Amino acid sequence: MIRHLFKLIWNRKKSNFLLITEIFFCFLVLFGVLSFIVYNVRNYTKPLGFEHDNVWLLTMRPSTDSSALNHQNLEQVLQLVRTFPEVQQASLTSSNAPFAFSQMNNNLSYGNVKDVMADFYEVEDDFKEVMQLQVREGRWFGMQDNASHHAPIVINKALKQQLFGEEDALGKLIPVNDSTNYQVVGITEHFRAGSEFAADEPAFFTRLNLPRSPNSFWSEVLIRVKPGTGIAFEEKMVKQVAGIGKGWALEVTTLEKMRQNKAKLTMIPMIALGLVCAFLILNVALGLFGVLWYNINSRHGEIGLRRALGAASGQIYRQFIGEVLVLATFGLLLGVMFAVQLPLLQVFDVESIVYTVAILGAVVVIYLLTIVCAFYPSRQAAAIHPAIALHED
Amino acid sequence: MLKNYLKIAWKVLLRRKFFTFISLFGISFTLMVLMVATSLFDHTFGPQMPERETDKLLFVNMVREQIQDGYNSSGPISYHFFDRNIRPLNTPETVSVNSMFFQVNSYINNRKLALDIKYTDREFWDILDFNFLEGNAFTQQDVKGANRVAVINENTREQYFGKAPAVGQYIVVDQVKYKVVGVVENVPVLRVQSYADVWVPVTLKSQEFNKPGLRGTYFATIKAKTPNDIPKIKAEYAAMMQEVERQQPQKGTKLFSFPDTFLESFARAFLGRDQETGLGMLYGILAGLTFLFMLLPTINLVNINISRIMERSSEIGVRKAFGATSSTIIGQFIVENIFLTLLGGLLGFLLSAGALWFINDSGIIVYADLDLNLRVFAIGLLLCLVFGLLSGVYPAYKMSRLHAVEALKGGSK
Repeated sequence: MIRHLFKLIWNRKKSNFLLITEIFFCFLVLFGVLSFIVYNVRNYTKPLGFEHDNVWLLTMRPSTDSSALNHQNLEQVLQLVRTFPEVQQASLTSSNAPFAFSQMNNNLSYGNVKDVMADFYEVEDDFKEVMQLQVREGRWFGMQDNASHHAPIVINKALKQQLFGEEDALGKLIPVNDSTNYQVVGITEHFRAGSEFAADEPAFFTRLNLPRSPNSFWSEVLIRVKPGTGIAFEEKMVKQVAGIGKGWALEVTTLEKMRQNKAKLTMIPMIALGLVCAFLILNVALGLFGVLWYNINSRHGEIGLRRALGAASGQIYRQFIGEVLVLATFGLLLGVMFAVQLPLLQVFDVESIVYTVAILGAVVVIYLLTIVCAFYPSRQAAAIHPAIALHED
Repeated sequence: MLKNYLKIAWKVLLRRKFFTFISLFGISFTLMVLMVATSLFDHTFGPQMPERETDKLLFVNMVREQIQDGYNSSGPISYHFFDRNIRPLNTPETVSVNSMFFQVNSYINNRKLALDIKYTDREFWDILDFNFLEGNAFTQQDVKGANRVAVINENTREQYFGKAPAVGQYIVVDQVKYKVVGVVENVPVLRVQSYADVWVPVTLKSQEFNKPGLRGTYFATIKAKTPNDIPKIKAEYAAMMQEVERQQPQKGTKLFSFPDTFLESFARAFLGRDQETGLGMLYGILAGLTFLFMLLPTINLVNINISRIMERSSEIGVRKAFGATSSTIIGQFIVENIFLTLLGGLLGFLLSAGALWFINDSGIIVYADLDLNLRVFAIGLLLCLVFGLLSGVYPAYKMSRLHAVEALKGGSK
């Protein structure tokens, strides 16, 4: 039966060629869009590794070049911020605070593993409390690091996996340059600070020690406030900070707002792509329906003959649905052949499971689509009375 | 004859309403998406308020320093660099220095307002055409005297003063009190060169003016006397950059900075390499994307057209039997198909007007005011014709090759 169907399609390959191309391209579009969506949704469901509610980000842009003076003012600002009763903890951070648009990364090598690209975050000891990080193994930074010979770092699980594999990472030294080494003191769970849709990339924290770096300036402070603290406090804080840093430009924003901005960056393309894809598929479905309808209607003679020779209407019905499915299979085979190249060649740095889900999803959608489109015309064909069909010819 | 073709086309459309619907749906939605994209493109790069004379304007956004071992650093230019090197250029009519925009906060009645502030000189207002709702730009005296005056946009006025006039009033932005001298229409955020909520004199940042180095926080806007001067300005700028590069203390340092038109500066930011703007590549990518997007609807339309034309094989047979050549028949079907796409295009225009209204209304793009103007209309018409031709030629060709005898018998296998 199936061989017969293949033969039928093959005999009409010239007129079916366009339908197959259409299904082929439709599959490719679906596959592309589904991969993008599956990738993002998978990331979204992973934990962020920190709590961003009630965390504010204060950004300061000094107006003068005197780094010594700026440093002195910065220390005063921190002292002031920490004395407010509304503030629970505060920590300086490098410009790549969670959900910020800037990124800092560095190559790390350990043993045979060369050049693992990892995001790095310069933070103070209070950062753990501000962001409520969970340290899985080892410890977070503390006063004892003041005396340590190597620069202490805390790494996330993804970095540990890539650098050390199953080996124990605690206490290991990672060379930075000829004179300095990083020493791993702790391992956190996830830390995905880029956005909710960011992949679980390797990341590590270095310790920012303000009193020990007399001429340096950091422009961003993460502040955890008590729940329910509002604009009135923000205004008060900004006024008092402005009193210390004369002429500094100050900006306060909440991490929640930054999260929304960052999410928009992924959501809007995703929605736009989804809409365009839905439209394309609807378009294809309508087209397919029309063409199948026409094709089946022009085969009345054949149907009449089969019915006259004793085929039941169910058999006719199954034949047409079967033909359409075979048609779809041709298009899909071609499409899958192209699509599997992506995971095989590792064109993008994406796990193969994403592609697998996308391919399966696209195949299922296309089969459903063709069945739905073929349903009505086939039923109509099956309902034809043999006498009428033969009479027409 | 053309009238006859159109008449026939119309009758055929009415005969198979379902097929007509499918065709029109495909055509109109495809064109709608393309037209919304075109409108977005035109809105971002076309001559719009405030950069109306795009053919005379050049922008310097970036300078990139490349030190011998491949280390790169790039960013906006410094005031010092502008003052020393760009201001003395001879060919431009006017040059303006303006800072990038910074986000700052203001607090009014227990409400926070996040505003984008931009520091500009007086020439900025001469070069660009803002639509003033009230008052005027600040004057040369204001800039010289570093007066605390501000031009604000419509949205900021509404936040501060409601519907009341704002000129003469005071606003507090980032702890500094400014007197409002003018109110302008909102500038969309896509226009990074001129966008802001509040514009204040550049001299308020005079403490930065003497900071040496090439990189800082400023943009330069250059206006040419005539569009023909643009290549000359670019040449003069390049010569100036060579001179600056020669004077760099560290040997082997390479500098990259170019005055670009609006579109060039965008292309350079993403695709540019060294001297190349990457404009060709940008056009290539855009054309490729359009093609890919149109591919599926086109195949679909070809499929449907073939079915439709097949139905009319006896008509073709009769015409052939009476001596019509293949090219006449191809011509007829192409005309019919273009007629159909134009009809779909018309629907597409209506749909895209709706979609644009929706985008403007939803506030996805800050201060966006997308509309269908003559430029977008012309491009849309062009797209319709291309679409019609693409989807009409193959089926017509296929039909025209039918033998008269076979066609009269009623179709082919």
